[in-house]
Amino acid sequence: MPVFSPELIKIIEGFLNRYETKRSSILPILHAIQDEKDWISDEDVDTLEKSFGLSAVDVREVLTFYTMYRQQPPKPYRFEVCKSISCWLMGANDTIKTLRLEIEKAEKEGRPLPFEIHGVECLGQCGYAPSTLINKDRHNNVTSEKALQLLKEYSAKELPNAAVHCAAALAAKANK
Amino acid sequence: MPVIKNEYQGRKPDEFRILLGLEGHSNARNIQTYIEKGNGYKALEKVLKGGMSPEDVINTVKASGLRGRGGAGFPTGLKWSFVPKGPGEKYLITNFDEGEPGTYKDCYISEVTPHSLVEGKIIASYAIGAQKSYIYIRGEFHNEIRWCAEAIKEAYAAGYLGENIMGSGFTHHMDVYSGAGAYICGEETGLISSLEGKKGQPKLKPPFPAVKGYLGKPTVVNNVESLAVVPWIIHNGPEAYKKFGTEKSPGTKLFNVSGPIARPGCYELPLGYPLMRFINEDCGGLIGGKKLKAIIPGGSSAPALTAKECENLTLDYESIAGAGSMLGSGAIIVIPEDVSMVSVLENLMDFYAHESCGQCTPCREGTGWLYKISKHILKGKGTKTDMDRMYSIANNMRGKTICVLSDAAADPARAIVTKFAHEFEPYLKG
Repeated sequence: MPVFSPELIKIIEGFLNRYETKRSSILPILHAIQDEKDWISDEDVDTLEKSFGLSAVDVREVLTFYTMYRQQPPKPYRFEVCKSISCWLMGANDTIKTLRLEIEKAEKEGRPLPFEIHGVECLGQCGYAPSTLINKDRHNNVTSEKALQLLKEYSAKELPNAAVHCAAALAAKANK
Repeated sequence: MPVIKNEYQGRKPDEFRILLGLEGHSNARNIQTYIEKGNGYKALEKVLKGGMSPEDVINTVKASGLRGRGGAGFPTGLKWSFVPKGPGEKYLITNFDEGEPGTYKDCYISEVTPHSLVEGKIIASYAIGAQKSYIYIRGEFHNEIRWCAEAIKEAYAAGYLGENIMGSGFTHHMDVYSGAGAYICGEETGLISSLEGKKGQPKLKPPFPAVKGYLGKPTVVNNVESLAVVPWIIHNGPEAYKKFGTEKSPGTKLFNVSGPIARPGCYELPLGYPLMRFINEDCGGLIGGKKLKAIIPGGSSAPALTAKECENLTLDYESIAGAGSMLGSGAIIVIPEDVSMVSVLENLMDFYAHESCGQCTPCREGTGWLYKISKHILKGKGTKTDMDRMYSIANNMRGKTICVLSDAAADPARAIVTKFAHEFEPYLKG
C-alpha cells in the first residue's frame, strides 16, 4: 500500500504551492492526511520529509502542538463534547457520563461501539449547549437522551472512508 | 435565532441591524442576495471607483469610532494607520479563531453574511495596502470554513477579488486558512506563528505586527466582526454609525448569551444597551425563573460580576470596565443561584490550564496550580491557606508574560476568590 494515494499527493502538492512559504502548508497538509487516513503516522511524517521536502522537525512541532491531530489510530467516530463553561452549565458533564457508561456497557456485552468519547474545550457554539462534534458533523443541544440517539444513528451508518482506510492499512501492516 | 426586539431610545428594531440585516433570509450567504438585499459591494465600489484614497478609508473608519470587536476594543482605524505607508509586501489577517468560551458571534456572521466579511477585508486591505489577506479560522469550524471559502470563490467570480479590481489598479488575493485546535491562536501573534506553519506561540511585542508580522512583514490582524461592519460604515458614513451606541463606544455590537437562559443567541444591539433589560426582557430571563447569581460579561476571561453589580450596568466598554470587568468579545454567560462558584472556578481554570501554550513560566505553572488548587478545594480537601495561595498565584501571573492568557486566567480567578469567598468556606477544612 503506498503511503499516500495519488489524490492525496495532488492535494499536498497544491498546498505546497499555495502559500508564501512551504512551511505554512504543514497545517493544511496534516489535515488532508487525516481526512484520508484518519491519523498521522511516523511513516507519514518521514514521507513528507523525503518526498516533499518538509522538515520532519517542523512537521512534528505542528503535529504535537495542535489538539486536532491524531498520532494514534483512532476509532471510526470521535464524539467530542464541549465541557467549557457554557456547555458545562447546561449539563455537558451528564452527556459525557452517559456516553461513557453506554460505551462501557456495550463493550461488556461484547458489542463494542465504533466511538471514542472526548470532553473538549469550547467548540464556539455556546448558545446551543451542550455542543458536540462527531468527526466533522456538528450536533447542538446534545442532552444525554439526544447523545444516546446519536450513538444509535451513527452506529447504523456505513463507516466513513477514512476509518475504512485506516483499518485496512493497519491490517496490511499486521500481515507483513 | 431570536430577533432583536426593543425600542431603545425610541428606535424601531430594524434600525439596529447594521451587521445582521440579512438574518432570516433564506439564501443569505449567496452573493446575489448580498448585492440585492444588503447593498453588497457598494462600499467597495465607492472606495475603488469613487476616488477614495487609502487615507480617506482609514479616516472614515477612525471617524466612526469603531473599536476592535475581538475583545481588546482597540480603535480599528488607528490600528490600520500604524502600518508603514508606501510599497512593499503587507498582509491583512482576519482572526476567526473564535474560541473564547461564551463567544459564537463570528461563526454567526459567516452563517448569515460572509460577504460582509469578504467586502470589509478587501476595503481594509486597500486601506493598508495589502496584496494578500487570509481568514484564519479555527479547525473545528468545518461549516464556517466552507462558507467563507465559497464566499471568496463567488467574490473572485464577480470580479471583486483578483487582479485590477473594478479597473482601479488595485489587486488583492484572499484565502482561508484552517487552524487545528489551539485557543492561543486567537492571540494575534500566536495566530501569525500558526499561519507561518509553526506552533501557535505568541511573540514578544514590540515589534507589533503592524510593523513586523506575518513573515516579518507589516500585518494587521482584525476580528471578523470589526471587518464585517466596515462596508456599512463606508456606505452610510461614520456619522450614521455614530448615531448608534454611546459617545465613547459608538455603533452596534453582537452579543452572545449563553448558560441557562430562556432565549440564548446572537443579538445585535447598540452599545450602551442596559444589561439587565437585555437579560430579562430580550433574552427572557433565566430558565425556570431561577435567580441570577453572577454574570460573566465578556467571555470567560472577563471577571465575573455579582447580580448586584450588574443592576445598573450598560453594555459598553466603559460601563463594564467601571465595574471591574470587561466587555471583551460580548459573550455574556449567566450563572444561576444554584451553581457553586467553586465549581465555576474549577471549570474555568481547567480550560486555561489546558490552553496555556507553555511558553512563559508564570502562565504555564500558574494556570496549572490554579486548576489543581481549585479542584482540591472542590473535593473538600482545601484549607484556608489555599485561598491565600490562589490569590497570591493569581497576583504573580498578571503582566508577567508574553501574552495575556495568563491575565485572562488570573483575573477571573481573583474575582471569584474575592467576591465569592463565602462560598468557599463550607469546602475548606479549617
